[in-house]
Amino acid sequence: MPDAVLTASPLRTIAAKDIRDALRDRFIVIVTAFLGLAATVALMTGAIALRGDVATYEAAKATLLAIGKAADAIKAPEFYPLRLLRGAIEQIEIIGAAIAILIGYRSAASERGRQTLALIFTRPLSRWQFVAGKALAGLGLLAGGLALVLGGLTLVLQLMSGIGLTADDLLRITIVWAVATAYTACFFLLGFLLTLHMRQPSHALLVAFAVWLLLVLIAPQIGDTLDPDNQVAGGVFRQLNIAKSDQVQIMKGFATYETLRDGIEQASVTKHFERFTFAVLGIKATYAGMPLGPILTEMLGNLVWIFLTALGLGALALAVPINPDRLAKA
Amino acid sequence: MAQARAPAWAIASQSARFVLRERTVALLAVLFVALVLISAWLGWQATATVDRIYLDAAAFLQKTGQPVPANPVLDISPLSLMRNMSVYVALIGALSVIVIGNRLVGLDRKAGVLPLIGIRPFSRATYAAGKIAALAGLILILALISGGVAAVTFLFLPAVVPTAAQWAQLAGFIGISALYMAIFGLVALGAGAAARSETVGLLVPVTLWLTLTFIFPQLTANLNPTAAINPISALAPLPDTPFFHAASQILGPLSLADAYRFASAGLLDYLPPGMGSPAFLPPIADLMLATLFAAGFAWHALTRQSMAQGDYDA
Repeated sequence: MPDAVLTASPLRTIAAKDIRDALRDRFIVIVTAFLGLAATVALMTGAIALRGDVATYEAAKATLLAIGKAADAIKAPEFYPLRLLRGAIEQIEIIGAAIAILIGYRSAASERGRQTLALIFTRPLSRWQFVAGKALAGLGLLAGGLALVLGGLTLVLQLMSGIGLTADDLLRITIVWAVATAYTACFFLLGFLLTLHMRQPSHALLVAFAVWLLLVLIAPQIGDTLDPDNQVAGGVFRQLNIAKSDQVQIMKGFATYETLRDGIEQASVTKHFERFTFAVLGIKATYAGMPLGPILTEMLGNLVWIFLTALGLGALALAVPINPDRLAKA
Repeated sequence: MAQARAPAWAIASQSARFVLRERTVALLAVLFVALVLISAWLGWQATATVDRIYLDAAAFLQKTGQPVPANPVLDISPLSLMRNMSVYVALIGALSVIVIGNRLVGLDRKAGVLPLIGIRPFSRATYAAGKIAALAGLILILALISGGVAAVTFLFLPAVVPTAAQWAQLAGFIGISALYMAIFGLVALGAGAAARSETVGLLVPVTLWLTLTFIFPQLTANLNPTAAINPISALAPLPDTPFFHAASQILGPLSLADAYRFASAGLLDYLPPGMGSPAFLPPIADLMLATLFAAGFAWHALTRQSMAQGDYDA
């Protein structure tokens, strides 16, 4: 009977078995809970800070009114509920990517550790079906985990914001979920590819983490650090009392520097994910309140970059032949 | 007494040599040194750019008849050029020593030599002391390399002349960086000895590192992860709410990344005036205490490790 199942749909069998394994040893449950905790902490602390801003504004407004001045002398804090997801999105881009590497590592290392890889290849299934089945399972686990995390965050947001989320808000969160799945898939495939092909699985995990460090933390950090406005507390232009329009004029003389800085950031798939999600959720001020259509059109480049990276790594996983020397536990 | 020290020394030197032979360890160490070099360049480049922006802005303000404020670069201490180094110690430095700590025990377990070591005429305490000494030695090498890079950078930049006090501050920064890395290395050493699986031995310190670097700063200061890894943005004022005042004081001592950030900013002269750690424990004392706890954990795990066990379960 198992033979018949394997022959009927080897890809589905491999994927279903991997998902069952991952759920059985509770690893995926633990890491999803960890990501959920990190994202919820980010959402809650963001909300607490916003309440503090609102309280400060109300107190300042009351003082102005008491001394007979107009309340519009001070700017009211803007409240876009989706903006509260900023910290959670950053946790997904950092911790979510690390978890994806671990899922990829375990997906490949489990067969090597149990010495079952050679056995699997004695069955009537091709190498690409094995790899595709594993990748499908990984994608399913990531999509499911992220759906749980983002679903939970949406619920907390709905309860905390007090104004209710609209259908448009829910659509934006759904788009972010789909893109987050593609983004984390890049790191899943990286961990999976390296673990399947490197001599020592533990070395593969370390190399994958080194790449994660460079792409997720270092490259965006270098770009961020080189931003002149991040060099002086409060921003260099604010300290020099220079208006926004004049800032643009001055920065024209630093076009090459800005291109280099942007290039370093662009090299990281993480920055593309951040730019896309921050625009869709209105976290970046210029996109707050803007309809979804124009945002998606403007952010198409980032979207293409993320999906092409995932597809490229997927194609590589399917194309690289599995070395028989790598079939056993190292 | 000399005889009692000799096996620990042999274990330390042999373990350190074996770990250095590992290509992954070498890769991470090289990456760390490269990033320390980059951090020096970043600090210089970013400061030079702000200076040029100021000159352009000053010309623009003069032309439009507006008052020209003071150059913010003049307020910057030369030591602050090295501010990015604190970020790279907290990221790649910590990860490198986690790997070193893990491999120091993992290599013995993977090679199945623990039973062989166990029949030698020395105690498990000697074995533990040797492993901790090896870790300390390797961390010291990493810290000295980063200190050397910083010192050479200052010597090569003619416009930057640190005073004797600033050289001492730089030495202090290298010292607290070594302490911060040691915390993670010791936890990795202990976890590597206590864990039944190789993966768990590596994941425990990595999870601790992720929690301390990205979750605690959010709880204590509403600091988002990307801001937490920017040396300037990470020093934003605390949100003025009772929750954050209480959380930063109570959880502050547990938030080791915050402690390291404040200690680094103080020593490298980029801590904004009037700002300090809101935690009830001073940052450097906090880091010392955490290192002692981590050393206790590593010692406990290493001295209770069964010398009869072979390779990891998985």
